[in-house]
Amino acid sequence: MTQPLDGLKVIEIGGTVSVSAAGKKFADFGADVIKIEPPQISEVRKIAPFPDDIFHIDKGAVHLAFDTSKRSIVVDHLTNSGKEIIQRLGSKANLIIMDIPAKEALDLINIFKDGDSLLTNIVTITPHGMTGPYKDRIENDLTLFGWSTRSHRHSITGREPLRYGPYAGVVQIGSTAAAVGMAAIWGSRSEGMSRLVDVAGVEALMGNVDSGFFLWAVNGALQPRSAGQSTGLYPMGAYKCKDGYMLFSAGRDPVYSRLCNAIGRPDLSTDKRFTDPVEKPKHFEAFKEILEEWLSTRTKYEAFDELQEKGVMCCPVLDASELENDRQSVHRKSYITRNQDGIGDITIAGPPFRMNGLHSDAWQSKPAPSFSQHTNEILEEYGYSKQETIALFRAGVTT
Amino acid sequence: MGNASLEGLKIIEMTEAWAGPVCASLMGDMGADVIKVESFPRHSLTRPTSPRYATMPGDGPVYERDALHHQGNRNKRNIAIDIRTESGNQILKKLLSDADVFIEGYAAGKIEKLGFGWKDVQKINPNITMISIAGWGLEGPYKKMVTLGAGLDATTGHLSLRGYPEGDFVDTHPNFHSDATGSSTIFFAALTALLQRQKSKTGTFIDLSQWEGLVWQFPTILAEWTMNQRIPERLGNDDPHIVPHGVYRTIDDDKWIVVAAEDDQQWEGLCKIIDRIEWSEISHKYSSIVGRIKGREEIDNAIESFTKQYEGFNAAEILQNNNVIASPVVTPPDVLLSSQLHDRSWHQTITHKWTGPVMVGGFLWDVEPDSLSWDIPTALVGQHNEEILIELGYDEKKISEFYTNGSIGNHYEN
Amino acid sequence: MTSNLLQGINVLEISEVWAGPFGCSLMGDLGADVIKVESYPRKSETRNAGDPRLDPRVAEGDGPIYERINTHHHGNRNKRNIALDIRTSEGREVLTRLIRWGDILVESFSAGTIDRLGYGWDTIKEINEKITMLSLAGWGQEGPYLGRIMFGVGFDAMAGHSLIRGYQDGTPEEIIPILHSDATVPLTWIVAVLGSLMERDRTGKGSYIDLAQIEDLAWQFPGIISDWKMNNRVAKPVANSDPSIVPHGCYQSAGEDSWINIVAENDSQWQNLAAMMDHSEWAEIGHSWSSIVGRIDSRDEIDSHINQFTKQYDAFDLADKLQAQGIIAAPVLSPPDPLMSPQLHDRNWFQIVDHPYIPERLLGGFLWKIEPDAPSWDKRAALVGENNDEILMQLGFSSDDIAQMRSKEIIGDAYDEATR
Repeated sequence: MTQPLDGLKVIEIGGTVSVSAAGKKFADFGADVIKIEPPQISEVRKIAPFPDDIFHIDKGAVHLAFDTSKRSIVVDHLTNSGKEIIQRLGSKANLIIMDIPAKEALDLINIFKDGDSLLTNIVTITPHGMTGPYKDRIENDLTLFGWSTRSHRHSITGREPLRYGPYAGVVQIGSTAAAVGMAAIWGSRSEGMSRLVDVAGVEALMGNVDSGFFLWAVNGALQPRSAGQSTGLYPMGAYKCKDGYMLFSAGRDPVYSRLCNAIGRPDLSTDKRFTDPVEKPKHFEAFKEILEEWLSTRTKYEAFDELQEKGVMCCPVLDASELENDRQSVHRKSYITRNQDGIGDITIAGPPFRMNGLHSDAWQSKPAPSFSQHTNEILEEYGYSKQETIALFRAGVTT
Repeated sequence: MGNASLEGLKIIEMTEAWAGPVCASLMGDMGADVIKVESFPRHSLTRPTSPRYATMPGDGPVYERDALHHQGNRNKRNIAIDIRTESGNQILKKLLSDADVFIEGYAAGKIEKLGFGWKDVQKINPNITMISIAGWGLEGPYKKMVTLGAGLDATTGHLSLRGYPEGDFVDTHPNFHSDATGSSTIFFAALTALLQRQKSKTGTFIDLSQWEGLVWQFPTILAEWTMNQRIPERLGNDDPHIVPHGVYRTIDDDKWIVVAAEDDQQWEGLCKIIDRIEWSEISHKYSSIVGRIKGREEIDNAIESFTKQYEGFNAAEILQNNNVIASPVVTPPDVLLSSQLHDRSWHQTITHKWTGPVMVGGFLWDVEPDSLSWDIPTALVGQHNEEILIELGYDEKKISEFYTNGSIGNHYEN
Repeated sequence: MTSNLLQGINVLEISEVWAGPFGCSLMGDLGADVIKVESYPRKSETRNAGDPRLDPRVAEGDGPIYERINTHHHGNRNKRNIALDIRTSEGREVLTRLIRWGDILVESFSAGTIDRLGYGWDTIKEINEKITMLSLAGWGQEGPYLGRIMFGVGFDAMAGHSLIRGYQDGTPEEIIPILHSDATVPLTWIVAVLGSLMERDRTGKGSYIDLAQIEDLAWQFPGIISDWKMNNRVAKPVANSDPSIVPHGCYQSAGEDSWINIVAENDSQWQNLAAMMDHSEWAEIGHSWSSIVGRIDSRDEIDSHINQFTKQYDAFDLADKLQAQGIIAAPVLSPPDPLMSPQLHDRNWFQIVDHPYIPERLLGGFLWKIEPDAPSWDKRAALVGENNDEILMQLGFSSDDIAQMRSKEIIGDAYDEATR
């Protein structure tokens, strides 16, 4: 069965979480993704959790999830011999995505230049871009998130700003690179021109829709740093029920009125205390008491079923142990468990989108490769003799 | 004062040539009381009675002036016994009775015939560690065969690897690699046994085949065959996976230099020096090891056209300053010129009765805080006969009786 | 001139809020021709504000409130706009022609709604077998939650993310609602639709893509499910810390509500940080903190020392100094701060955008820089129905047809402010 991206060749360089997340969708939907890993061990392989908390280069959860369906080759891109390999691999690729320091990226870009024209599509991922006074700065998931203006809002007033869940920022940057990489491939298919795309992590986060900068730039307004539950347009945020929490987004009509009806208090939908925008913030505690009383007799799933039946926007707040058994997840097989050699059963998220039905095999997630698993195979495929391959290993270019 | 690591250990060494004697010296270097039981009246292998290339100038007997013997027998006392005599036999028994280690280097089976097989030695001293170092070990079809290091080199397959690619075995210089490496193996074996004795409270016998001590050092010979059914070829100085990797001419006749660039960084440094900077630029095929492997000859020529303009030490210094692996192929006199070795005070000046002061090579390792010293120059034949025999409880009368009946001696007949 | 990467691709958008519209803008940035079919006469959700005096999303100025809403402004650049009542037969004819024109149809109604409107996939592919249809319902198009409605804040809670991103001593009630899926879903669906067009080159047919927003979140947080499955542990918030790295946190800087993130990932970064703090001895061998093992055991103490240090300095200045020493450090930006970034100005990231009711603003720029054809903000967010005539004429309707549709309120260019 063919997959949508069959025949595409994509190369990822750098071994970071970002670039691994960028390559994943290409790989799972059928492209031949070659993961070029540095001899010093890819960042993505070092990230916990590990089974039984025993670290292993091939068993990190993030690696197992993000490097699916790829082939792994180790190449030191800082050496000329390594660059020659990358040149040979890259010349047949539709796209190269790299997440390495700007200086190093520039060196690699130059080997794909023929005069002014570029021989293949290249997407670079760097914290601040390939140009400008900050181009050589080093950042990580936390600091990039701080740059994005999101941390500032993601906090309780007076306390330190927070990032999202670990790696949320760098994964988003990787997704940004994947999207534009796909567009670049499309662009060269239709008109034959290769492009150089410069994804700056800060810009990728700041330029997206949930950036606080836009609100300020357009309106000069700062979104208030409320703590969790909104005290203005409530109910918005998590409310306690019998066995956990329920997340509401029901502060405005028509959803607010539906909620009032659903909890048997249609009177509240016209109660000035809760409908007049000026009055409403003064009566947050009163409403909270009413809603929590109703919720206290219901489990989060009971409340979810009952309220959604009436068109109320709400969701149970789930923890890790509940994800896989959620009815919808079970029905759609949103998580899949499969055996991976040397580890046993592992569970990863299923397809991010379904092409042509839930059960089509457009998405096929094959096990993540062990470190350097395909080095020999790939070098042979690209014309290297065995003697040359061993020489590359001996010179520390590959591992 | 010397190093005291092995202080309190008494070692009886009854071996010849290199592997055994050097091992005993290493123990002496580290503070053990080493007594060499020297062959008498037959002269030891390393004590020729007529001059040869290794004979040092000086007065006195030729067999006391052999440089090879000197290098392999420092830091020991010497007793020369004819153990075939009844008295000699008794003396050896006494020596063994309070010794910790007994190293013997006869051909397999010989020591039993002399009455000092493990069964006998064990009775004399149940706490002793005895090591036999016959070429192929004490058992098996080869046990009766005799050999020196060169034969072991041939039968481990090492000989087939050395030499010029286009040459033949007959052109290959014999070597005694098993002797050089065997001494450390025996040393390690002896200390292992002594550590075990601390737990078991009993001595051990070690059958150390020098062939086995050599063969493990060349895993590739066997692996090429078992993994890939290939007989390894003679490569001279080449490495199949590293270019450049060779020995090149210098400005001086028959003086040579080794140059190797193991990775791209070293290669870049080399290209700068040999005026071929373009060969390390990303656009050039030689910038990758893959390209260099195909251009070995051209690269070797370019390197030699550089090295031929310089004296070896100078060329090596220029190359090393650019992170290239390079060293002159030194001749023995060059060793004395090494500023590095002098800086580390490696050379040792020894004064010997018959050779006078001589500057010789130093130790295999440097130890802190009690560094090694060459306390006992190579002993003369039977130099410590009296001292040792008195320690063993014999009186002067008895000792002179031993001299008279030929069970000990202090010189060889020419 | 804008980028040409996606030139020739026609994108038809019937979608509100962010995940659908923003992805269409990104495609527009890259050269696709995007037509947004805006709800009419019902105001689209993106243009819905509360009381303008209290809703910070409304920009000050003249003109209708629904044209001055930040979210609409940001998520709808580089498109044309037609405001169409697709519940009428004339409106359906227009939509049918648009479907024939399109390569991609993006819809984000709750599951089942588009079928009830008569434009399920079976109908769409009858009209144009080459079109790819993308549906963005939160829980996807099948399963027990069919028909349920929610925004990104809820998907975040249900994907397990909410419970791992709060303060370590916090309660779920204090977790700030976020719309992360709105930011990331567009990035995923662009890959999805372009993948389907590549497949179309082989098959000659478009595809139907069912993207459940909750599933797009799920793959991004492998640690949550893995820690449960591998180690039977329910992931807890780590806030700004990293269990394996110390220091790794957010510290106070000089000035009110001002913060700096600092991370020393290895011994050498720690050494430089200790020197900057005038405590070189903390990184000298012999001091327990010279090893990551010692630092892990003293996280709180180290954090409090760093806080004492950072409190004395301006976050931007201090980040400059620490970065110069090879330490990972960055100010935590509040929304106005990006304008102070010399980096963003050097890269000409900001875009000057003019709009009839929100004149000349310096807005944030694109997600990527492209050579040789850089993206540009050619079309500001369109006014409602702004391109009605142009689009209808392109579809082959006459001026009379158009006038008739306008008079029958099948198309329009203004909403009744009071309607929802």
